[in-house]
Amino acid sequence: MTVVLNFFQEIGGLWLFSRQVKRTWLTTFGESLPMVIEQIGYVGMRSLTTVCFAGFFVGAILVIQLNLMLAQYDAQSMLGGLVTSGCIREVGPLIISFLLAGKVGAYTTAELGTMRVTEQVDAVRCLGTNPLQYLVVPRFIAIVVCSLLLLVFGLLVGLLGSMCVASLLYNMNPLQYLSSVPRFADGWTVFCGVFKSFVYGLIVASVSTYKGYNASGGAKGVGKAVTECAVYTNLLIVFANSFSSIFLDGLHETWRTFF
Amino acid sequence: MVLKYLILNPLIGFVLGARQVMFILAKTLLTCLKGPHRPRDVLNHMNTIGCGSLPIIAISTAFAGFVVTGELAHQMDTALHTVEMLPGFSGQFVFRELGIVIPALLLVSKVGAATTAEVGSMKVTEQIDALRLLQIDPVEYLVYPRFVASIVVIACLTLISIFVTLSAAIAVAVLRYNFSIAEYVNALAHFVSGKDVVCALVKGMTFGAVMPIISCFYGFNCGGGAEGVGSATTNSVVTSTIIVIVLDFLLTFAFSMVL
Repeated sequence: MTVVLNFFQEIGGLWLFSRQVKRTWLTTFGESLPMVIEQIGYVGMRSLTTVCFAGFFVGAILVIQLNLMLAQYDAQSMLGGLVTSGCIREVGPLIISFLLAGKVGAYTTAELGTMRVTEQVDAVRCLGTNPLQYLVVPRFIAIVVCSLLLLVFGLLVGLLGSMCVASLLYNMNPLQYLSSVPRFADGWTVFCGVFKSFVYGLIVASVSTYKGYNASGGAKGVGKAVTECAVYTNLLIVFANSFSSIFLDGLHETWRTFF
Repeated sequence: MVLKYLILNPLIGFVLGARQVMFILAKTLLTCLKGPHRPRDVLNHMNTIGCGSLPIIAISTAFAGFVVTGELAHQMDTALHTVEMLPGFSGQFVFRELGIVIPALLLVSKVGAATTAEVGSMKVTEQIDALRLLQIDPVEYLVYPRFVASIVVIACLTLISIFVTLSAAIAVAVLRYNFSIAEYVNALAHFVSGKDVVCALVKGMTFGAVMPIISCFYGFNCGGGAEGVGSATTNSVVTSTIIVIVLDFLLTFAFSMVL
């Protein structure tokens, strides 16, 4: 029971914290813009190679698995479309947010947590600067923006990887592989992927900054904050995944009924 | 110059790191054969790894099952305008990919990070040197129990998560797509055989064997105080995730020949 209560308490804290960050960001939009852009550069460069590497192999795995299944129905001509649409709608955002949580999220929590327990956050406040604006907002916004940018890169590399494997291992012509893509992936599919990626980015950003900003209890407390950050991000992403799927499906149904 | 810093140095770092990982692995395997077997330590680690991560894995895989079944149904609807094949496809996907990789990735970000943080803190506070002074081999004492515990635990967790994911998939198929449970199980028996279970276990245990080796390697090599532990943890999670994905690709390809 206490576990469940704790969980909801954390969600509430997360919500209030994110609202505060949003308000700070909107009121100081122009001032914090340079720092936001700098952080976007850091975060993006730090995770670009990892995301591309993972994207390549995830595309490859999907090709092998789906090829095995589709071969039972002689439907291999749909391989390209299925893999691409699966990547865009589901697998791409999920894998990228997991990697972002493991790499950037953990790093941000550790950084902010160390600042908090060594009283650097209080020092910033003493100097008359709002620590939320100076420390949290740039990292928060950078993670959200980067999750979208990295999605684009990851998907492109994933498509490349799946094409490579399909043409090398299963002797498929790349053009023939690509020809079934438009049947499965349209603007709506891309919107689904971008929406999900945005939601996951928000989760990673808010959990990692919240946990780091509110860390306490020395080096051990920072370690605990990092572990909790990983657990909460993963759990919330999985929840958000099913809820956003239901939401997007509902939206699609309504759209189709009325137009 | 550019060549040296961009290509040569990372390559040398990679080769040296791989050499040390192989060394740790060889020593661990040797300890498995020769002992000392430290059953109490192994049981302790099994408890922390397994019982600590069971709830989060059960919840996450259940939600993954909900989402992926809906996703497969959607793709099938677009491709074939029918959802008749849903039981076979979703069951196969659960047994071959979903029930194995998701718990492995979650364990990497939860247990792997904790292991690196723990071993790294020991290294930074010179406890590993103290172990050496006491004539205790750090690999035998720190890596071996985690290695055995992780392999055994991840085999169990794979089976549990396959069961949970499958239950979720059946729930979606029954409630949303009007299959009966008997229909689903019949179709499943057609598409999934004992071979799939064996392959799933082999895959899961490989991931379980990789995780403690990599995280202990990063723990042994971390330096520079609390910050060093933080960056070692991040690197360990990212490297293990990438290695799990690459190994998944290789094993999936190998098994696609057998199945």
